Amino acid sequence: MRWELDRYSHLDSPLHHWDPRAKVVGLAGLMVAFAALERLSLVGPMVVTAGLIYGLSRLPISYLAQRLRYPGLLILSLVVMLPLVSGETVLWHWGWLALRQEGLERMVLVICRFVSILTLSFVLLGTTPFVTLLRSLRSLGLPALMADMMMLSYRYLFEVGDTLATMRQAMKLRGFQLYRHQQGWVWPNLAAVAHVSALLGTLLLRSYDRSEQVYKAMKLRGYGQPVGSRGVKTWPDPWSCLGVGLALVWGVGFVALEYLWL
Amino acid sequence: MVHIPDGILPPPVWIAGFGVTALATGLTLRQINHTSDPYEQIPKASLMTAAFFVGSALYLPLGPTSIHLLLNGMMGIILGLYSLPAILVGLIFQAIIVGHGGLTTLGINGVILGLPALLARPVFLLYRRFPQSYGIRWSMGAMAFLASALTTALTVLIFFLLLISSLDQRLDVVAEQQAILVLSLSHLPLLLVEGLVAAFLVVFLHKVRPELLEDPS
Repeated sequence: MRWELDRYSHLDSPLHHWDPRAKVVGLAGLMVAFAALERLSLVGPMVVTAGLIYGLSRLPISYLAQRLRYPGLLILSLVVMLPLVSGETVLWHWGWLALRQEGLERMVLVICRFVSILTLSFVLLGTTPFVTLLRSLRSLGLPALMADMMMLSYRYLFEVGDTLATMRQAMKLRGFQLYRHQQGWVWPNLAAVAHVSALLGTLLLRSYDRSEQVYKAMKLRGYGQPVGSRGVKTWPDPWSCLGVGLALVWGVGFVALEYLWL
Repeated sequence: MVHIPDGILPPPVWIAGFGVTALATGLTLRQINHTSDPYEQIPKASLMTAAFFVGSALYLPLGPTSIHLLLNGMMGIILGLYSLPAILVGLIFQAIIVGHGGLTTLGINGVILGLPALLARPVFLLYRRFPQSYGIRWSMGAMAFLASALTTALTVLIFFLLLISSLDQRLDVVAEQQAILVLSLSHLPLLLVEGLVAAFLVVFLHKVRPELLEDPS
């Protein structure tokens, strides 16, 4: 099982050179501004802004398309009914089936907001190595306990994923098929539940054993002892400061237009 | 499945979600930091987070469809106070790796999945009040079932309440309430499955590694 978060973090683009702390603040500010938009007239500029930033990052379109596929289907399934059930202005109808303007506008707004926010989050993740991103979050005030948990969990996601894949393959080779049981409509098959629980239990046991060894090794290396500065304390370079300033002004501009535009 | 994606909620809802989750996480971390060695459980909590993240990819066929396990109740039972930060970490990974949930909805998803998980351990520990004649495995299994099913029920209820009431303010109130009721009831099988998995798992862990069920904080 492999999740390659850092696959494109080696590319060369202005977004890749942007100081990670400034990038987190700038892009998070824009994401928050986008999530606050409710006016349909601001949807166009929002999508264009997200598109321009993605273009500047020089990440391949296939990366965005691949990452958007699953969540895109999910959001479509949530909002696809809105044009049919929400609003009073009927644009078109066929028998009892009516297409309503307000619902349609709401659907467009939700989808565009979703795509724009996700695009920015993929830019953030695609242009920054995960460990660097975590270090930046730590220096921006993420509690040490959370940062340590994120780092260790990320480290072990791959191993635990591989362990599960190995266990499932071993079960299959012994003739066991997890999903062959006859299923009820409401009451699940107890044998299948018991087998999934046993699989999960074994996974937890192996993870727990590993965590004990890891903790002892970390403790021997001084883990948990008070340390000095753990984050980068220097200021970002002037270009990064300019970038974060521009992003925040742009985001505040969107919010101002949203709430002050009569 | 009970993760709210980016862009779907109006600003007051996701901002309030961040507020509630930040407050709850702050209080939880404060309590954890008051323990004798707050870092002792971090490797265990992290590995459990990874194991639960991977384990939630397992699905069980049910009728014409299949259900993925949430496992937030089980995380609550095993990790106790650590379950909230662990679930938040899991939510971040789910958002950035598989596209479940989102970064601007991290707070509200923390409310949906993390807060109910904090109830799981206190409910599970009620097994100690069972008379000894019931047998420890039965009482543990029963309370694990109850704790996990209750956590899942709260999760599903908060999810649909937030989603349907926030999706569009113009929706009919009665239709909205009926939709919440119908969608929540349709998740009854999920409650059963989560409860049963927790019961089997707790009995299994009690048999082979009881220290895993000891108070982590």
